[in-house]
Amino acid sequence: MSCYVMGIDIGSTTSKGVVLKDGSEIVSTYLIHAGTGTKGPATVKEELLKSSGLKEDDIAYTVVTGYGRKTYAEADAQLSELSCHAKGAHYLFPEARTVIDIGGQDAKVMKLDGEGRMTAFLMNDKCAAGTGRFLEVMAAILQLDVSQLEEEAAKAGEALKISSTCTVFAESEVISQLSNGADIPALVKGICKSVASRVGALAKRIGIEEKVCMSGGVANNGGVRDALAEELGKEIGYSPLAQLTGALGAAIYAYERATKERKDG
Amino acid sequence: MLDEILKKFEEAACHPELLKERYLSEGKQIVLVAPVYTPEEIVHSMGLVPMGAWGGDLQLQESKRYFPAFICSIVQSIVELGMKGAYEGVSALIVPSLCDSLKVLGENWKYAVPSIPFIPMTYPQNRKPEYALDYTLHGYERVISDLQKATGKVFSEKLLRVSLQIYNEHNELMRETVKELAAHPEISAQKRSWIFKSATFLRKEEHSALLRQFLEELRKQEAGKRKLRIVTTGILADAPSLLKILDENGLQIVADDIAAESRQYKTDCEIGNDGLVSLAKKYAARDNCSVLYDPYKRRVEALVETAKAVEADGVLMVLTKFCDPEEFDYPLIRNACNAAGLPIVEVEVDRQMENYEQAATIIESFKEMMESK
Repeated sequence: MSCYVMGIDIGSTTSKGVVLKDGSEIVSTYLIHAGTGTKGPATVKEELLKSSGLKEDDIAYTVVTGYGRKTYAEADAQLSELSCHAKGAHYLFPEARTVIDIGGQDAKVMKLDGEGRMTAFLMNDKCAAGTGRFLEVMAAILQLDVSQLEEEAAKAGEALKISSTCTVFAESEVISQLSNGADIPALVKGICKSVASRVGALAKRIGIEEKVCMSGGVANNGGVRDALAEELGKEIGYSPLAQLTGALGAAIYAYERATKERKDG
Repeated sequence: MLDEILKKFEEAACHPELLKERYLSEGKQIVLVAPVYTPEEIVHSMGLVPMGAWGGDLQLQESKRYFPAFICSIVQSIVELGMKGAYEGVSALIVPSLCDSLKVLGENWKYAVPSIPFIPMTYPQNRKPEYALDYTLHGYERVISDLQKATGKVFSEKLLRVSLQIYNEHNELMRETVKELAAHPEISAQKRSWIFKSATFLRKEEHSALLRQFLEELRKQEAGKRKLRIVTTGILADAPSLLKILDENGLQIVADDIAAESRQYKTDCEIGNDGLVSLAKKYAARDNCSVLYDPYKRRVEALVETAKAVEADGVLMVLTKFCDPEEFDYPLIRNACNAAGLPIVEVEVDRQMENYEQAATIIESFKEMMESK
């Protein structure tokens, strides 16, 4: 009999979920732009069940992770997002030894051993710089959607330099550049480089071991990925499932716990 | 019985203002002793009550007039408490010159809290050579002279030697307590912290009496279920929110290298004929601390050895924000722990910190990392 488990990642701006069959086959995924404190997590569960054709009772175990994990009482267990991103990244990139996760409001760097166990990690300061929030604020000033930043950055030749690390100061700097008639793609490339510089410094503090991969929503932005690869001088592994890495890791943990419970009787 | 004794530690740790009132109502004079190593024994020997001044967890408002934004919140909160009248009735504040922030504390205190005299204790950075002994002794003489002026009390060599003995006994009891607590996971990190914090406020003979009772009762108690064992390192780790996170995650502090905790009680005084010289030698003998100059940074190795000796599962660095001496040591500590295969994580804390969400995520991830090892 197959074993179905669920992993839910409740972030600050999005909720994500994965249903896994027998610990390795991804049956269903779902992502909604509604994070902690919203109906997002409940919608994720509903949609996952709907798209997988499963009933609630078919799910042997659920693990919840992410910023809003403590607000979700329906799960069997909750685990930190760092552990889940490490687990999910190892599934997507078994060769990965450094995982860089840039989420909606924080950035994290994790070091993994050959078996995918997290051996060290670092989180960013309590600051929006180097996170998805920084990109959102900058995109809003430029009247762009965050999803358009990659395309704009690709059009640029040289990047314009954003010297301020602080989001508030960087916002003023971008406005000032705009009023001086700055080229938008060059400005967007500069914004991506600013995030890469901040997160790259975090990664260098912990020590970078190849291979490097990215997880979290910002990984979907090719502009930031390219800038980070340049900043670190390393190739960056990327999966289209990057934003689901935490939920995937949670689902793998759910499977491990479900099978352990079965064994223990 | 054990709970009753712990309640006494808690009362002293959490309500030093009541203790201050009690001492004052008993006709005693109080002298505040700032971090990290103040010659409390001198204060004690003069019949004064030394009470620790490590600041408190509060929002900084008034003290911001005297400090830049990027400075240790411990010194800022000491001035804040002083300006808000929390120390009203005490006779003086002694501040040692062991880090740049402490030097600034003394200078600002003179203007911010003019009603309470500031007494500097200037230590030599190179404390081991013979000439350093003279330097330290001159520092003590200044402290004694200022204390006499501020309190009218007289210093006596004979009484100092008695105080040195009382402090040695207290040191030994604190070390025994740490060792015994390591065998009792059921005593929470919060309760452990009350024992240390109350030691900075209570007179040492009172605290020793409580420790003796505590040890007797604890030894009768059956040890609780094993938890993940950690060693803490840093300047200060007494924030209730931080300790709650450790307790919620089932982490037991089995040893510490915290300046406000075990570092205070590591070094005994070899009491000779001259009490002041003996005390100066005690300062020279102190080691393994970020504010005590050591070109070889033996603190790092000592920490790893301690962690191995107590079979710790990991090391938690509680980094006080803007504490340069600790920040300089952290990369060395991290590298040494990595080399020894000891999981280590850093949590930044601040006296005005209210939101511990990030600290909670870091500690939870750290627990999971240790569990998966």
